[in-house]
Amino acid sequence: MTKNIIEVKNLTKKYKENIAVDHLSFEVKEGEILGLLGPNGCGKSTTINCLLSLLTINEGEIKIFDKKMTPNAYDIKQKIGVVFQDVALFDELTVIENIDYFCGLYIKEKEKRKKCIEDACKLVGLEDYKKYYPKQLSGGLLRRLNIACGIAHKPSLIFFDEPTVAVDPQSRNHILDGIKRLREEGATIIYTTHYMEEVELLCDRIIIMDQGKIIASGTMDEVKALAHNHEKISVQIMNLEEETKEKLLKKIQKLQGVIAASFENHTLLITAENGTEILETLMDRLKDFNISYQHILMMPPTLNDVFLELTGKELRD
Amino acid sequence: MRLHHFKYALKILIKNKMLIFWTFAFPIILGIFFHMAFSNIETSEKFQAIEVGVVTNEENMMTKSMKAALEMLGNEDDENAIFHLHDLSLENAEESLKNKKITAYILLQEKPKVVIHSNSIESTITKQVMEQIVENQSILMNIAEEKMAEMSKEEFSNPEVTYDKIYQKIIEEINLQRQNTNTIDKSPKKLSYTMIEFYTLLAMSALYGGIFGLISINQILANMSSKGKRVAVSPEPKKKLVIGSVIASYLVQLVGIFLLFFFTIFVLHVDYGENIPGIVLLLFVSSLTGLSLGVFIATISKASENTKTGILISLTMFTCFLSGMMGVSMKYIVDSNIPFINQINPASRITDGFYSLYYNNDFSRYFENIFSLLLIAIILIGISVHTLRRQQYDSI
Repeated sequence: MTKNIIEVKNLTKKYKENIAVDHLSFEVKEGEILGLLGPNGCGKSTTINCLLSLLTINEGEIKIFDKKMTPNAYDIKQKIGVVFQDVALFDELTVIENIDYFCGLYIKEKEKRKKCIEDACKLVGLEDYKKYYPKQLSGGLLRRLNIACGIAHKPSLIFFDEPTVAVDPQSRNHILDGIKRLREEGATIIYTTHYMEEVELLCDRIIIMDQGKIIASGTMDEVKALAHNHEKISVQIMNLEEETKEKLLKKIQKLQGVIAASFENHTLLITAENGTEILETLMDRLKDFNISYQHILMMPPTLNDVFLELTGKELRD
Repeated sequence: MRLHHFKYALKILIKNKMLIFWTFAFPIILGIFFHMAFSNIETSEKFQAIEVGVVTNEENMMTKSMKAALEMLGNEDDENAIFHLHDLSLENAEESLKNKKITAYILLQEKPKVVIHSNSIESTITKQVMEQIVENQSILMNIAEEKMAEMSKEEFSNPEVTYDKIYQKIIEEINLQRQNTNTIDKSPKKLSYTMIEFYTLLAMSALYGGIFGLISINQILANMSSKGKRVAVSPEPKKKLVIGSVIASYLVQLVGIFLLFFFTIFVLHVDYGENIPGIVLLLFVSSLTGLSLGVFIATISKASENTKTGILISLTMFTCFLSGMMGVSMKYIVDSNIPFINQINPASRITDGFYSLYYNNDFSRYFENIFSLLLIAIILIGISVHTLRRQQYDSI
């Protein structure tokens, strides 16, 4: 049985009257990537700061590597790597010096450190920028350097707090590939974000938070199932008369399994219990009306749909 | 302390160009301005002896005495002499006054008279000095008369004891007292406006150096910067990081202040007097006080780094203002009206330490200032250490 790397019980953090984290309990298993998902201000970063013992907590218990986490738990801290949301770098130091400084807080042996720095540069794709100063790097490269500084000492538990905010697609892919490789090397990862596509791509399990509480947790399929979401089909049809539109809609709405159907400009939108089953019938109906279409898209439910159903608001609100 | 953190703390401070400019170059530039401005003031304002004619109308003990007093003030060998005297006949004096060769002439007679061509500062000084001489003369005469009244019959009947001789003896006694007073005043230097400015410049630089401590500590506080958060989650104990940062800051600060010190000595030719070791010790201690001020502001305030730096600079400038940087009289105004302020003002303590070495050679006052500065540093560091012991925060 896989052991728990993190155990959180009843964690509560208040800012005066405002409850930022509300009786949170969860575990993180060895080698998994746990996604902490939620809109801005839902308590993700506060939870991480509590886990790292940076913030005082009002209630609860935090165990990491089976030991109680405290500010002086240096043996635990030795095995942790953190990539914070804000870029934390020294403008006066070069890329290599920045990584060396933060890595040196964990690893004293120079030779070992040198190897770690090389590996970190390679992982995030900064081999060609070693002598650059942070001011000479683009936003995406800065984020990559920020990650290299947090993981160069090869930690077995890594916290990523929204590492891809305001990052170009090329750097984002680099970062996500790097995180996958870290997991392959055996690291346990907690990944917070409000980008659901990143969570869907990376995470084994997810926790969805809202207003400091866990509103859903489990594997991707489990969470999606929780929300009883349905598949969506969109069909782009050009030059269709209003009368034909109405007739077509009436026919489709009568199909078994169709929950809703409507037109938005030139797109027919259908929500169905099982999209694949009605797809063939839908094509027949379009043929009956002698309608030609540009393209058909079938979309499975997303985490955003789950979040929308559970909270009534969008993830990126 | 970890050498790794110390090495990088030092590197980060040295490579901060803005910081190095404001703490290293700015005081030197200010020193150059002081040198240009105040050395000219001192030379241009050097007192020029007043050209005065002396016309002796009556030759008696009184006029001789007055002439002797004037000659003391017009000694050609004394560069600080008030008068440049010319013995003239009445006609020549009138002629010289008319031609503006002299500012005034003095008629030495029972009731001396000062004749001027027109009203000016020089003629006013001449009049006032002459009035003072006459007043002193009157006091001396009274003393001589009292002495004669106290004399016994034998002394009185002695033909060698005359009024003139008694009067002369009193003057000799007064001169002897004056010489004794001069030997008691061991002041090695005369008060110089420029020196006061350079002392406050050193004081400012020492306190200003606190920015190094402020920035260095700010970077390892989790509630102040993202870098601080990253450092705080590392397995390196906070006290080791703080000690490394403080020592690195102190070293950079000392380099800055000694650079200024040597620049003023070797380039601007500022004469700090004989007691250089005393000045060096004072620079070490005052830099420590500056550093403790920076660390104190970094730890007790939750404001941003820029705001904290602003607070430190404002505080430094204000304390230097009170200690006489923008006008020497300010130090004396504060000393006379609210002396407590200068007792706790580190800039005043530093400048006072310099004065006590330079002007008075007063080591008790010097060490009093050294201990005051150390006490201020200990109190500030004590409060900072207490605050820095905290490892968790209510909010970040």
